[in-house]
Amino acid sequence: MLMAVKNQIKVSFLSIKYALLREMLNKTTFITNIIFMILNNASFIIQWIILYSLQGNVGGYTFDQVLLLWGLAAGTYGVSRFFFQKAFSLSDTINNGKLDAYLVQPKNVLLSVITSEVQVSAIGDILYAYIMLLIYGFTIPRFILFTIFCLGGGIMLTSISIILSSLSFWFQKTDIVADTGNSLMTNFATYPDGIFKGLVKILLFTLIPVGIINYIPVHILSEFSLGLSLIFILVTILLTGLAILVFYKGLKRYSSSNLMTARI
Amino acid sequence: MAVIEVKNISKTFKVKLKEKGLKGSFKSIIKPKYKKVQAVKNVSFNIDKGEMVAFIGPNGAGKSTTIKMITSILYPDKGKISVLGLNPEKDRKKLAYEIGTVFGQKEQLWTHLTPYDNFKFFGAIYDIPEYKIEKKIKELKELFELDEFINTPVRNLSLGQRIRCEIVASLIHEPKILFLDEPTIGLDPVVKENIRTLIKRMNKEYKTTVFLTSHDVSDIEKLCKRVIIINNGSLVLDDTMENLKYHYLNKKIVEAKMKEKVNLDGEDGLTILKDRGYNIKIEVDTTKKSVSDAIKLLNPDNIIDINISNIPLENIISSIYKDGDTK
Repeated sequence: MLMAVKNQIKVSFLSIKYALLREMLNKTTFITNIIFMILNNASFIIQWIILYSLQGNVGGYTFDQVLLLWGLAAGTYGVSRFFFQKAFSLSDTINNGKLDAYLVQPKNVLLSVITSEVQVSAIGDILYAYIMLLIYGFTIPRFILFTIFCLGGGIMLTSISIILSSLSFWFQKTDIVADTGNSLMTNFATYPDGIFKGLVKILLFTLIPVGIINYIPVHILSEFSLGLSLIFILVTILLTGLAILVFYKGLKRYSSSNLMTARI
Repeated sequence: MAVIEVKNISKTFKVKLKEKGLKGSFKSIIKPKYKKVQAVKNVSFNIDKGEMVAFIGPNGAGKSTTIKMITSILYPDKGKISVLGLNPEKDRKKLAYEIGTVFGQKEQLWTHLTPYDNFKFFGAIYDIPEYKIEKKIKELKELFELDEFINTPVRNLSLGQRIRCEIVASLIHEPKILFLDEPTIGLDPVVKENIRTLIKRMNKEYKTTVFLTSHDVSDIEKLCKRVIIINNGSLVLDDTMENLKYHYLNKKIVEAKMKEKVNLDGEDGLTILKDRGYNIKIEVDTTKKSVSDAIKLLNPDNIIDINISNIPLENIISSIYKDGDTK
């Protein structure tokens, strides 16, 4: 059992490595993709600088906390899109019958599929995340916690996309639903939670769990809370479990296809 | 000993129906209509260890669906499948270690990597230790003559070279059964022949059971001793290649160059395929008339040159497909 897990992890990392090598074929595109993503993220900070020059507090967040929030948003997004990029085009994979190649391999189908592609610009997001942490204030415990939150948050974003994309096993054209869901997760991720009230706030901690992925880690990194940390861990486990359950339930309905495809 | 046992399997797909035009699209949103398509109906067969079996049928006959059910990609609605004593539905991972698949239309290799790196990746997928994988790559490199291009990225290889690499990648874990779905699709005759020779050599060397689908009759004729034909989801024939060729349709083709014109109209058991005066091509139904009787009708003294041949396998298969359609 332990050996199987070890081998599975080895194959997943090998798959990520090879997918990265594919993206590195063109060095110029590779490097510009990363740099432009960092610049793109940085450009948004300008509007926050202006806002904070007008007032010292937005939604209960200091400027440093906004930087941390941006760092976490970029970090979680980066982790999900770098390690599990294919989870975000899973609907297409299911609809076009491209799971066949993974089903005939003696490995975990879901993990093998989602680790078969990387998004290069996500490296820019991850680098940006750690730049934000440096500006916020680097300490070893903070670095460890920040990394855990980026990984956990990235896994949660991936899980949400898997759940929404897996609807393709039951219904047609659910890629739009998955895309909308994924956009919602990023749209709300960079605003302080204090500006949201009532129903929206409830939604952000339940149906669109940006609150768990981004807001709770900001609060923990500002002031450690064991309770909030437990909630974060619990929701990560629950969402991952649910994603696995929904995917494998759907896989029983998989109908394959005879499209001509190539792994390029 | 049977390595594949398929008993009365059936598979039905639900297909959404849509009326034409925009109105039809709206209608299908409000009140969707579905049609049930039975892709595979009550199919049963057994395959023994080391056999090379051709599994053929026209497009949409249910070939791919059947293979996908045997290789645990799809699940049957009814019936039972056992591959090497495993149930594909429940033992997907265990079964994957024992079988290899090559889908000619679907590439499994990473195109930016060299065949060597790809083989190493497949080695990791099948948990093969490093020293063993190197040995296996060396062995297969020689068998499949990959030496020239084993370190060239797959995207720069010709289609024939790619297919060879696809086959090697599927053999890296020494599978007991190899499923080849259209392995020679799009290849030129020389490369096709080369692939066939290599498959034969592999079957001889490793005693691998080969389950082959192809639309290329030469593939079937040159590789397989047994043929299973499926049409409209049902099994229409399961016989040896020899029986199929010589007994299924008892017909011979006689082509003759004559000194004088002959008239064979209305002769029982003879069908005139081509009549160009002095050159004639006839089909002889040997259940009604022997070949020697047919030659007597042509008058041996009148014949300059003669050629007697079997009905091309392609025609036999087409006629079986058509029979299946009319049933």
